[in-house]
Amino acid sequence: MQKVITVSLNGNAYQLDEDAYGQLSIYLDQSARALAANPDKTEIIADLEQAIGEKCARYLNAHKTVVTGAELRLIVAEMGPVDGDGEATAPGGGQTGSSTGGGAQSGTAAPGAAGGSSPRRLYQISEGAILSGICNGIAAYCAVDVTLVRAIFVVSFLFTGGLALLAYVVLMFILPYASTSEEYAAAHGVPFNARTLVERAKEKYAQFAQKQEWRGSRAQWRSEWRRIRAEWRFERRRLRDQWRAHRRFGGMPGGPQTTPAGAPPPTGSYFAHVFSGTLMAVLGLVFAIVTIVWLLALLSLVTTGALLGWTLPHEIPFWAALIGLVLLYNAVIWPIRSMRRAAYYSVGAYHGAWIEAWNGIIGLAVLIALVWYGLHHVPEVEALFDQLTHWWRANVGSSAGDWT
Amino acid sequence: MPLDEKFSPIRKGLLEFLVLRIVSGATVYVPDILKRLAHTEFATQEGTLYPLLSKLRREGLVDYLWQESDSGPPRKYYRLTDSGRTHLAELDAYWALINKTISSLGS
Repeated sequence: MQKVITVSLNGNAYQLDEDAYGQLSIYLDQSARALAANPDKTEIIADLEQAIGEKCARYLNAHKTVVTGAELRLIVAEMGPVDGDGEATAPGGGQTGSSTGGGAQSGTAAPGAAGGSSPRRLYQISEGAILSGICNGIAAYCAVDVTLVRAIFVVSFLFTGGLALLAYVVLMFILPYASTSEEYAAAHGVPFNARTLVERAKEKYAQFAQKQEWRGSRAQWRSEWRRIRAEWRFERRRLRDQWRAHRRFGGMPGGPQTTPAGAPPPTGSYFAHVFSGTLMAVLGLVFAIVTIVWLLALLSLVTTGALLGWTLPHEIPFWAALIGLVLLYNAVIWPIRSMRRAAYYSVGAYHGAWIEAWNGIIGLAVLIALVWYGLHHVPEVEALFDQLTHWWRANVGSSAGDWT
Repeated sequence: MPLDEKFSPIRKGLLEFLVLRIVSGATVYVPDILKRLAHTEFATQEGTLYPLLSKLRREGLVDYLWQESDSGPPRKYYRLTDSGRTHLAELDAYWALINKTISSLGS
């Protein structure tokens, strides 16, 4: 099964498989870079998109609606690398015609040759990762060996007394995963060959499956953790695609001046992602701290009758303090919770379900504990319960039969 | 060095001249231009042709008009402008001169 990505090429929608999408992104990205100094860049890109679209149409019919990577490779070879300067002065330019244009072209279209202009971003890279892929991502970003980064990390962990580990955990939440070929390209700062990436990803999955087998139960928590994060990623990607589709339909006034919507991914989403990830991590931390403090306060109230060392005034009964504490907790936690939820939504990974379930379980447990405590230690609650049972016996119990 | 490669800069330089010649005949769509060149020594690709056409348009030698198409979005059809026609005449004359020079040299 292959995932299909819908792109708009100069106003017309085409469906590509992931490999083809990667190829196309790389081609358009390179073209845009080659034309960076050209005043007609937008128009030329639109022309190229239209030409690619028409070539795609050749491979499509009523029974085949998706362009494959192999077909797109042929199309790109046919299009040829984009001539950067357009002034027809580039020496050694490959005009050799119908033979696939690939390596013959000079400077401008070559990968890496564009110097600092290729976007380079910090991602997590999970292939070959030991924990989560932070070191891998940093290594790719700095173009150094991952072993070096890991060594530095371990050393800094020893010297900072665990602060480095905390930083690692925080980065785990904040940094997006490189999941598509263009994200891998951005992680390395160079265009990447999409096919090798797809193959490597497959290899990685096979390896992971094996690893799970012989590591047995010790790795279970890890695999579980990964599974949850994989779900997050999936959700994130789904929402991103939705967003792209939305943009496609939003900016499709059919005219010739439409901007190329099949172009490489938006830079905004990366930073929005980092921001949301940070917010999520910080809010999660605040949430945890508030909850722990509250539980401690509750425990101290129940065991010592004082609120974290502060004795209650006499006019406030014990049960009122309990209820007050619960209300206070909810009042404090409510804005944090809704903000956190908003952060989830904006990352595109609303995984409220299991968090909410967890919250619910904690809430229920606290409620049961409170009722149990009240029944055994608070005279008012005992009296109320007695009254309730009397009422029940008098009105319901008599008709339903006696019970004790 | 194969012949092909030896003349590569010349072919590249001549491409503009040839495109102007093709456009001078009738209004043409880019795939038509590519098809006309495909089986010549000057076979080229979209990646080269579009930037070249946009340069020619900026210089005012060609312009294009939109024509509806049955399949897909409207297409750009290129044609020669008046100044393009003048320029082409100059190029033709210059090319004839070059040819004469070449044939007059040597035996």
